[in-house]
Amino acid sequence: MRPLQTLWGYYIRMTIKWPGLAALIPFIPLIALWSFVVWLELFPRVFLPGPGDVLIKAWELLYKGILLDYLGDSVVRLSVGAAAGMALAIPLGIFIGLNSRAHEVSWPILLFFQAIGDIAWLPILLIWFGFGLTTMTFVIVYTVLFPVVLNTVLGIRSVNPELRRAAQSLGASRPRILFEVTLPGALPNIITGLRNGLGYGWRALIAAEIIVGTSGIGFLMFDARRAGSVEEIVVGMIVLGILWYIVDSWILAPIERATGQRWGLVSS
Amino acid sequence: MAADQTTIFRPAPSRVRQALRFLWPLFGLVVVWQVLVMALDVNPRVFPDVPTVLSAGWKTIIDGTLLTHVGASLLRVSVGTVLAIVTAVPLGIAMGVSRGISTFLTPPLRFFSVLAGIAWIPIATLWFGYGFGAITFVIFNAVFFVVTYNTLLGVSTIPMPLRHAAASLGAGHWQMLTQVLLPGALPNIVTGIRTGMGFAWRGLIAAEMIATNTGLGYMLFLARDFYRTEVIVFAMIVIGIIWLLLDRLLLAPLERATVERWGMVQRS
Amino acid sequence: MKSLVLEHLAKTYFDPYRGTQVEAIKDLSLTVEEGDFVAVVGPSGCGKTTVLNMIAGFVPKTGGRILVDDREVSGPGPDRGVVFQSFALFPWKTVRENVAFGPKMRGVGKVERARIADEYLEMAGLSHAADRYPNELSGGMQQRVGVVRALANNPDVLLMDEPFASVDAQTRMTLQEELTRIWEERRPTVVFITHDVGEAVFLANKVVVLARGNLLAEVDISLPRPRVWDSLVHDNDFKDLSNQVLQLVRSA
Repeated sequence: MRPLQTLWGYYIRMTIKWPGLAALIPFIPLIALWSFVVWLELFPRVFLPGPGDVLIKAWELLYKGILLDYLGDSVVRLSVGAAAGMALAIPLGIFIGLNSRAHEVSWPILLFFQAIGDIAWLPILLIWFGFGLTTMTFVIVYTVLFPVVLNTVLGIRSVNPELRRAAQSLGASRPRILFEVTLPGALPNIITGLRNGLGYGWRALIAAEIIVGTSGIGFLMFDARRAGSVEEIVVGMIVLGILWYIVDSWILAPIERATGQRWGLVSS
Repeated sequence: MAADQTTIFRPAPSRVRQALRFLWPLFGLVVVWQVLVMALDVNPRVFPDVPTVLSAGWKTIIDGTLLTHVGASLLRVSVGTVLAIVTAVPLGIAMGVSRGISTFLTPPLRFFSVLAGIAWIPIATLWFGYGFGAITFVIFNAVFFVVTYNTLLGVSTIPMPLRHAAASLGAGHWQMLTQVLLPGALPNIVTGIRTGMGFAWRGLIAAEMIATNTGLGYMLFLARDFYRTEVIVFAMIVIGIIWLLLDRLLLAPLERATVERWGMVQRS
Repeated sequence: MKSLVLEHLAKTYFDPYRGTQVEAIKDLSLTVEEGDFVAVVGPSGCGKTTVLNMIAGFVPKTGGRILVDDREVSGPGPDRGVVFQSFALFPWKTVRENVAFGPKMRGVGKVERARIADEYLEMAGLSHAADRYPNELSGGMQQRVGVVRALANNPDVLLMDEPFASVDAQTRMTLQEELTRIWEERRPTVVFITHDVGEAVFLANKVVVLARGNLLAEVDISLPRPRVWDSLVHDNDFKDLSNQVLQLVRSA
């Protein structure tokens, strides 16, 4: 027990010094376990390649330039779709959130369209727009749109009414209240919506790339599946995971914390 | 609180009125759809009118295909979800009991919950072949990682005083588990199930488009092959309704019952 | 000079659970002179918060008139500053930005309103916290900001709705002393809602007792100023007045 504790102590102090390590080191035993299972040859190599095989494959793909090209395609699609989705969703959400009649009419419709789900739109989109960028962009915009609209509405409607009253009795006009009170108050919710929307959008992109399939990480993975190259699929999965991990924990989560925690709107 | 009485004493509308209030905008949407299709004389291959969709839907109900597809989809979702919950909750609690282990394991778990669902389709179809196994596996892991992560989060955020209180009141290991840890983590677990099932449902549709010959996703994709837009639209509506019922009548009330009742974090 | 006049003020609302009209305020007339400090006390449910909400313009009245400087009140406005029990500070604004909010709404320039804010913050001993966010302050400090924010807008009437009810007992006493000090310096017109009889007597020139939507009594408080707790707790006049008001409230 002793040496283990000492080791643990080292680890804790190290992660305090370099917090980035805390996100990396836990993967080491995981990879070791993976290697061990492969070494035991419980499953045939074709089904479960080892970390080494995957690394070689990754290098090969990187060297050929395919990996970066496809990654770029996926990221561009996601960012364009997400930006367009937000540009539509936030104003719409503000409108619906402020107007209770619009809310009553549109809320069930919004919930219903969200329930249909992005991916179920693919077949009809393929008929409308064919296999191409339009179809994929539409799917991502659609996916990002609903969580952001729904959360914006929720955020606007859950702003503490006392704050509006306070602003009113300090002489704020309606538009001033919107910009000084309502929008900042809804911001944490808007960001949560964005985070959910991107999470869904990311998955929708993969599905769209698999089904529509011209380029992108999703396409890479499915193409590899057709060729029976498990290593390539695993490379794709790891790249996807790392990328989203970076976006989520280094960009989205800090923004969410910064707005929510400093303002005390969310606890923990 | 300084809330004025006029807002406190709002009559609680009956269930029927609530349902009606929810349904009439959707009914309005159907009317708008029909009017637009007639007024603009839309090519039925691009978008069908209401009667065509209804009769196509009726036909699938009569000949039993709808039942087969819905049954197949629901069976996969239930099997995958139940398996995932049964395995994820104990695992999450076991890992969450020790704070050291839970912080150590959080990054890999987040990594996998980010990947959960659709990204596993290529490798799942390779491992299990096309069909029930692959799709259930996709659903299983969409729910599994999210629920494990949330359970871990839930257990590790139970306030220490609560555990100390239970211990000093004489709770043994088993009682600690059933009386403190499980109920304490329940709000997070339920939230995890809801999020995970959201991913799973989309993953299901995507997987069924790619890897099977029954289920709602397959129904959609088959219809696309024959340019049967009326069947596509009907299937989309069915998908929307099923998810809406599942989410609003089962998952959301469950989440409200635990999360809000106990005055814990309120989430969108 | 009359700053605030309530004439036959009434409020009825519909209670759907009982299916009847409820009279929260029946017929309330009250005059508050300029520079006066009036405390309104009464048991919970007597309608004191409703009165304040109507004066502030948050809740529509159903009868009578509310005049501020001879102008009839319709809706909230900067002539009536409000201090809330829940503080109602803007969480996304620093303390300075919170205090500068009123001047900003009036269109005061950036430099000038920062100066105003800093002046008021200094008055409340909050200069060191000017750049912090409300969430980072204790309850007592937050409410100091709340008071100063309302004052910085130079309202004709300052409406305070149980402002010290949600801070701890020690802080409450300090805040009460600070409020009397500020009131003596600047002489704003104050309407102060509270259920704490001692607080009302300590702070006000006049205590108004409300009961079941009616004005039950007005008690003049002629205790000498400056008032501090250390001397007043032993003061017999203070004890007598407190007792008198307490009996009125309990008889209600």
